[in-house]
Amino acid sequence: MKGDIPQEQKRDIRFADRTATRIWQEEAAPGNPYLATSCRCHGYDLMELLRKRSFVEVLFLLFNGELPTTEQGQLLESLLIAFINPGPRHPATRAAMNAGVGSTFPQHILPIALSVAGGSYLGGEEVEQAMRFLRKNQHGEPGPLAAELLRSAARPAEGDWHIAPGFGSRFGSIDPFPQLIAAEYARLPASGRALAWGAAFADALHSEGLGWVATGVVAAALCDLGFHPRAGAGLFQIMCAPGLLAHGLELANKPVTAMPFLDEEHYVIPEEARNRKI
Amino acid sequence: MSSLKKRETGRSDTAFWEERRGKIFASRGGWVVGEAVYNSGYSMMDELVGRASFFQVLVLNVTGRLPERRLGDWLDAVFICMSWPDARIWCNQIGSLAGTMQASPVAGVSAGVLASDSPMYGVTPLVAASRFIVEALRQKKQGLSVEAIVEGQKRRPGAKPVIVGYARPIATGDGRIPAMVRVADALDFAVGEHLALAFEIEKVLLTQYQETMNIAGYITAFLCDQGFTTTEIYRLFSVLVNAGIHATYVEAADRPPESFFPLQCEDIDYQGVSPRVVPEKG
Repeated sequence: MKGDIPQEQKRDIRFADRTATRIWQEEAAPGNPYLATSCRCHGYDLMELLRKRSFVEVLFLLFNGELPTTEQGQLLESLLIAFINPGPRHPATRAAMNAGVGSTFPQHILPIALSVAGGSYLGGEEVEQAMRFLRKNQHGEPGPLAAELLRSAARPAEGDWHIAPGFGSRFGSIDPFPQLIAAEYARLPASGRALAWGAAFADALHSEGLGWVATGVVAAALCDLGFHPRAGAGLFQIMCAPGLLAHGLELANKPVTAMPFLDEEHYVIPEEARNRKI
Repeated sequence: MSSLKKRETGRSDTAFWEERRGKIFASRGGWVVGEAVYNSGYSMMDELVGRASFFQVLVLNVTGRLPERRLGDWLDAVFICMSWPDARIWCNQIGSLAGTMQASPVAGVSAGVLASDSPMYGVTPLVAASRFIVEALRQKKQGLSVEAIVEGQKRRPGAKPVIVGYARPIATGDGRIPAMVRVADALDFAVGEHLALAFEIEKVLLTQYQETMNIAGYITAFLCDQGFTTTEIYRLFSVLVNAGIHATYVEAADRPPESFFPLQCEDIDYQGVSPRVVPEKG
């Protein structure tokens, strides 16, 4: 069974001599090839961009290779504002707050919170999944698909239900905030097929107490802006980052008593966790 | 049934969340000050510290079950197998890059560990490998031959079968398996039905495609025989690569900043569009 296994041998694989990029070009300084005198983003000189364009436009350029139209820039900027802060009750924000009140070094607050914000439930991973769901289905009829999913998918016995990535309930209800944002975006000129299809899909789920969740709105807007689903998780993290950091920093100079530390009455340890013989 | 209740009462049914509001229900345990630190039915200071190994307690934390000592020793060995100080390995290089930028050791090691959450290497292949061997054993028990199980892993007729747990990206063969077989023998572990099948599959792959089992295939088959589920295996090995990252981080952090693997501008191959003028806004 084990005797005839060959020794390890390196495979004949050719790796790149240099890492390639289509995004960024750096021109070496004449006297020091490790330093750059100019940087270009998809061909545009960074100095020229910072004089002529907004942050949102350059962000769009980085990922899409071209500057956005005025309408696309408007939608992306609106997206960055709408989801700038998941709010102080969101688990990612609370992770930032725990880091802050726990005197974690400030440079770690954002990576900690963003890891939580990357999850498959109301996080970056769900944004990517929702983008793939929208791209796959947005050319079909939303009503029949909603009916089919309602018929075939099993509602969890407890907690919320995301019937499809980006669509479901939150705390037992339709979350009003994502519906408001989606309705706002429907009026913007850059709004496209994904936002329209998502709105119709959410309408078809409404009677069952389901609708857009935040990740679905983000996903639909990113689809309409032409972003690839692979970028969805990270872009969602970029959107949330300012709020997460702000809440973490707000507690970073506070005493550890500034947040609850539950007493025994509220931290419930079952008897079987105290004594395995029970 | 929240939507139904809402239709009846006009209010959402939030009872599920109300029961949990302001409380933490800790199924595993916790610290009762002045009494004990409880963990899955054990008093940690009285029953675990000095009596159980770190890896036994790690299994307890993941599964709620305290395994026998020899399984903890087997895990100790396998964690050594799975992480070594080679700064070319992707997660390890992240540790080096963190070190050269004088990031904290916690940041460097955490960043490298996060990188190993990859379907290509690190911990995530264990998920697919364990799913495969569980399914393969089910198929075998239904009467499929090992050759047919391997054949079923071809993505198209005539192609080489792709099975997570077999073959490796950089090299053929896997010297970690004989080492772990030696450890398992020394600890007196018998070869169970998953591992026996894993070796049978390797035999077919070796004969037909000159490919062998890799350490992910070995680990998962072994642990499936020990009663671990796929989810438990993923959770148990979350920080699988940490030891090697510690080494590469330290190596780079102890040298002058930005001296690890420095790149000149021309060391990056720019393949994008040519320089262009930023258009005026319309």
